[in-house]
Parts: sequence; C-alpha cells; structure tokens
Amino acid sequence: MIGYVEGETLVHRLDPRTKLFVQAALAVAAFAHTTPRGLLVLSTAVLGICRLSATPVARSLRSYRAFLPFLLAGPLIEGATLGAPWFVPADAATPALASYRVLLLLLVSTAYLRTTRVRESRAAIQRLLPGRAGVVLGAGVGFVLRFLPLLRHDLATIRAAMDARLGSERSLYERVRLIGVTGLRRVLARADRFALALQARCFAWNPTLPRLDPTWRDAPAVAAGVALLVWAVG
Amino acid sequence: MTITVADVTYRYNGDGTDADAATAALNGVSLTVDDGDVLVLAGPNGSGKTTLVRLCNGLLTPDAGEVRVNGTPVDDAPVAARSSVGMVFQDPRDGFVAATVGADVAFGPENLGLAHDEIDRRVDDALAAVRMDGRATDRIDELSGGERERVAIAGALAMDPDHLVLDEPFTGLDWDARRSVLNRLDHLRHRGVSVVIVTHDLRDLAVLADRTVALADGRVALDVADPSPEALTDLGVRPP
Amino acid sequence: MSTPTDSVELVGDEVTGNVARAVLFAAATSATAPVDMVHPLAPNVPITLQTLWVYLAGVVLGPVWAGVAFVLYLLAGLLGLPVFAGGNAGLGVLLGPTGGFLFGFPLAAMTVGAIAHGTGGLTAPDAVSIPRLVVALLAGTAVVYAAGAAGYSLVQAIGPVAAVSAVVLPFLPVAGLKVAATVAIVRSDALIAR
Repeated sequence: MIGYVEGETLVHRLDPRTKLFVQAALAVAAFAHTTPRGLLVLSTAVLGICRLSATPVARSLRSYRAFLPFLLAGPLIEGATLGAPWFVPADAATPALASYRVLLLLLVSTAYLRTTRVRESRAAIQRLLPGRAGVVLGAGVGFVLRFLPLLRHDLATIRAAMDARLGSERSLYERVRLIGVTGLRRVLARADRFALALQARCFAWNPTLPRLDPTWRDAPAVAAGVALLVWAVG
Repeated sequence: MTITVADVTYRYNGDGTDADAATAALNGVSLTVDDGDVLVLAGPNGSGKTTLVRLCNGLLTPDAGEVRVNGTPVDDAPVAARSSVGMVFQDPRDGFVAATVGADVAFGPENLGLAHDEIDRRVDDALAAVRMDGRATDRIDELSGGERERVAIAGALAMDPDHLVLDEPFTGLDWDARRSVLNRLDHLRHRGVSVVIVTHDLRDLAVLADRTVALADGRVALDVADPSPEALTDLGVRPP
Repeated sequence: MSTPTDSVELVGDEVTGNVARAVLFAAATSATAPVDMVHPLAPNVPITLQTLWVYLAGVVLGPVWAGVAFVLYLLAGLLGLPVFAGGNAGLGVLLGPTGGFLFGFPLAAMTVGAIAHGTGGLTAPDAVSIPRLVVALLAGTAVVYAAGAAGYSLVQAIGPVAAVSAVVLPFLPVAGLKVAATVAIVRSDALIAR
C-alpha cells in the first residue's frame, strides 16, 4: 500500500497545493501528448520528480501489479486479428502508449502520496475549494480518515460472524445481503452518534483553517506546472 | 455560572428526529447546577437522563419549559450553550473527528474560530488536564478505553466550558481506568468546572458527588446530598 | 467564559446529519474495497461490494447527499486514503484503467437517488415501490458500467466494443446479484424507525 513516508526531501517541503497543481498539469500534458516524443519528455519529468522525492521507481510500480492485466489487455485486444498475421503491432501501438501513460501517472501520484500527509492534503482542499463545499469536503476527508479503521473492523467482524455460522455454505446472494443489512445498520447507528458529537462540538461553516505556509521553494515548481499546461494546450 | 432547567417537558416525536430510544420523555423537570458542583444524575434506563442532558446544550429542544445556561436561554445562543456545556457521550468512539489525539481535541476550538496560537494552547492545556500531555500524535484507535474517555473529556475541555456533562463515562472501563477518570474529574471541579455525571451505577461516586439527582419515569424522584441506599435501590439504581 | 461566540455560524442540524451519513457511507465503501469475495462460477473475477454502497447511498441519502458521499470518496482517494479497490489511492488510479468506474460512483449514486425519490423531496427508503427501486438500481448499474467502459476506452485508447467486453461483460452476473441483494436490504429491518 502506498502512503506517506517520513522524509526531508525537496518535494516533502513543498506546499500541498503546489504538488496537487503540478500533478494535475502533468496529467493534462500526458493526455495531450500521448506520442513517443511527448511521453519521452514526460518520462524525464516523472523520473526527475521521483528522484527529488526519493520515490523508488521499480518498487512503486510493482505495488500496482493488479493493473497489469488491464494494461496488457488494451494493446493485445487492439493488435489481435482473427486471421493471419494474428497480431498487427501497428494497431497495438496507440493502446501501448496509453498503457505507458498510465504507468507515468501512477508514479507521479505515488510521489505525491509518499511526500504529503493526508492532513496537509486536507488543508489544501479546505483552502482551494470555496465556501461551504470546502468545509464539507475538507472536513469530510478528515472524518473519513477517522472512520475508515472503525468500519474496516465492523466489516471484518460481520464477515467473521457470518463464517462462524456456516456462512461459507451460504449462497453468494445471501452473504451479500447479510453484509449489507448488518453493515447498513452499523453505518446508520454510527452516523447518528457522530452527528450528535459534531453538533455538541459546534461544527461550524467558518472554522479556523489549518496552517499552510508556501515558501519561495514553491515558485519553481509552480512555474514547471504552468509550463506543462502551456505545452499541453499549445 | 449555572445551568437552570425550569419545568421542562419533552415528548417523543416532536420533530421526527427523536425516534432514538435513548431519549425518553420528561415531565415537568426542574434542576439547577451551580459553579463547581459535582452532580450525579442517576436513574434506570429509559428514565430520561440522556434526554435531560441533551436539553442542556440545545441538542434537543423542550416542548415546554426553559433551559438557561449562565442566565441565557439555550435557544437564543446555541454556540455559547454548546461551548459552555461540554458534552462527553457514552462510548466516545463515534464522537472523535480525527485519527490522532491532538487533531481531535483541536476540533472544537477550530470551530470557534480561534487563532492558531490559542488553539495550540488550549489543546496543550486540555491534554495536560486529563494527563495525556505529550500524546497529541497518538492514534485514537490505539488508545485504551480509559485513555479514550480522557481524550473525549479533553475534546470538551478545549472549548473552555464552565460545565462538563458525561453520559455513562464508566461503561466498559476497568477499575484502574475508572479511577483515573474520576481523579481527573475531581481535578476539574477544583478548577471551578461543574461536573454532571450521568450513570446507572453509583459505586465510588459518593466521595466526589455534592448531590445526587435521580430520575424515574421522566420526573425528578430524588434530589439530595446524601442519598440513602434504600431510596436508590427503590428507584432501580445500584447504590454506592 | 472567554470565548467569543457571536461570529460562529453553526452548521444546521439537518445538514450535520447528512454530512455524518455521507462520511459514513464513504468510509463504508472504502472499508469494503480491500475485502474481495470470490465468485463461485468465475473465481478470477473479484467481487467488491463497493457498488452495493453506491446503491444504498442513493436510496437512503437521496440524490444530493449520495452524490456528496461519493465525491468525498473520490477526494479521499485522491488525497491518499487507501480507499480504492486493493487499498490503492492517488490520481494515477483515478486516471488509470479502472478510473471510469470510480467516476461512475457519484453519478450512479445520484441516478439511483433521483429515480428512487423523484423530484419532490425524499421518500422514506422502505416506502419506495419495488418496481421503482428496481428501475433505479438498474439505471445506476448501467451508469457505473457505462462510465467504467468509457473510462477504459479513453484511458487505454481502445474501441468501445473491446472496452465493453473487457470490463463490463465479466462482471454483469454479479451486478444482477447485487441489485437483488440491495432490494432485500432496503426492505429489511435495517432501515426501520429512520
């Protein structure tokens, strides 16, 4: 699983908003220039980012191996023909480039996740999104972070209880139904108690926002992001 | 600094939000909580204890009667009422808003719009008051039951309340955890915070409590400094 | 009491309740992501119950807050919470081959909610008629798979027919099963007194 890794790299010290922006700019550029030359330029950029953020390339890519069938299926399906010559490499080229683009974007987002705490990302969202949407979504991401382990635990106990009562012999339909009924009951009960706690703690539309302190270091990164966008559009 | 409950009546199905079984009806209840009081609110399940405390900070609205916090009707100033009456819910697990201790305790002061320095100061103070100083980066999921209860108390304290209400704070706590929570409550009352403990189990609360109020069927059945064991047993409360 | 409280704008009770439910649905969907079941007939097709929560959110929360729940889910994943299938996260996954399904979640949840509840405010979930519920869930399913196929086609630069055969057809039998289970769940006592 990819997550934050303690560190002091240049990328760690960037403002999360800068990192989100560069990431987005890179994605736009990658979709605009899915050509051998375009991807070569982007590969250089991505490898540079990995370097600056101490992101191990091979190990990171291995963690996404679940995507491999999807990435291979594209070129194989498009390149295959029903008779001789059975496979036309030229037809497979475009999907293959697209698969490569996916790998580049996975690497960039890995670099972001390894260098940015969820808390910082949340602060960025709360400041980037205006008004009430920013409050609901920014605070909401923090709340999801809080409840994720609780609900994992709930679902694990539900499944264990089900298995204990000859669950493995029940039909798939019956298992899905049982998980849903029990899970929904817990979700709604937790939501009721959580809502009450939010009210008691004065959940407000205008809270003090978390601190974010952009520095001069962000300037070159923002400039690089702008350059990528200009290249993508031009 | 007082909470004044005057002749309050509360019924089911007022606005559709009270289908919760925890909020039983109340019938003409009056009660005053003064500065630094430690009040034990007892009574069997369904007697209306939880309803009563939720009326004190505007989480519920009475059908008749009035609740005032520090002289102001709760409905007129909900923010003042909610920050002045800190609330710690039964099994606080669903009441935490953040994954780590410090971030959770900061939530109340952030909502009050305080400056960062003031928020930091309050978080430090609140954690120190419950002997959880230096634990701000701990994950809430990895705390023991007693530590969790104390962090929940710190979350309420960070709003700088005059009153602290705890709903069944000892459920599921072992003896040591229970003692550590009691010890912190005693410390708070010496800082002038009044404490209301809602419970159906009075063991070892006698030393701490200035008064014991017992509810039965939505009415105040008892309001005395030193309840006799017989009177409590008759009301379905386990005596100390 | 030293705290100034006049400037605090409290979030209203109703919105607070909806935020809490949206959060819990997003978290439940995330918690379901890493646990896969295996289909007895097609052991190589993983079954995640994430779409179950998409359906339930639409029916229980209605179109607006079900949409919020899944926007929140996507955002949590974008920012690094391990909420996507396999415990993954990040922009690379959202823009990856299965990203279309993920973007389909909020759209589908809103579709289910809009059809189940209509335009005249929310109906009690267990009061939505069965035919209406089934239509809502089938429409939601269509949205998820259409978005999934469109995303795959776009991201992998392959034709729509190839995309549908790769990412839709293998999953359809299980999709039907989840729709049926959702109907049963909505009609169960999990929703009583709410």
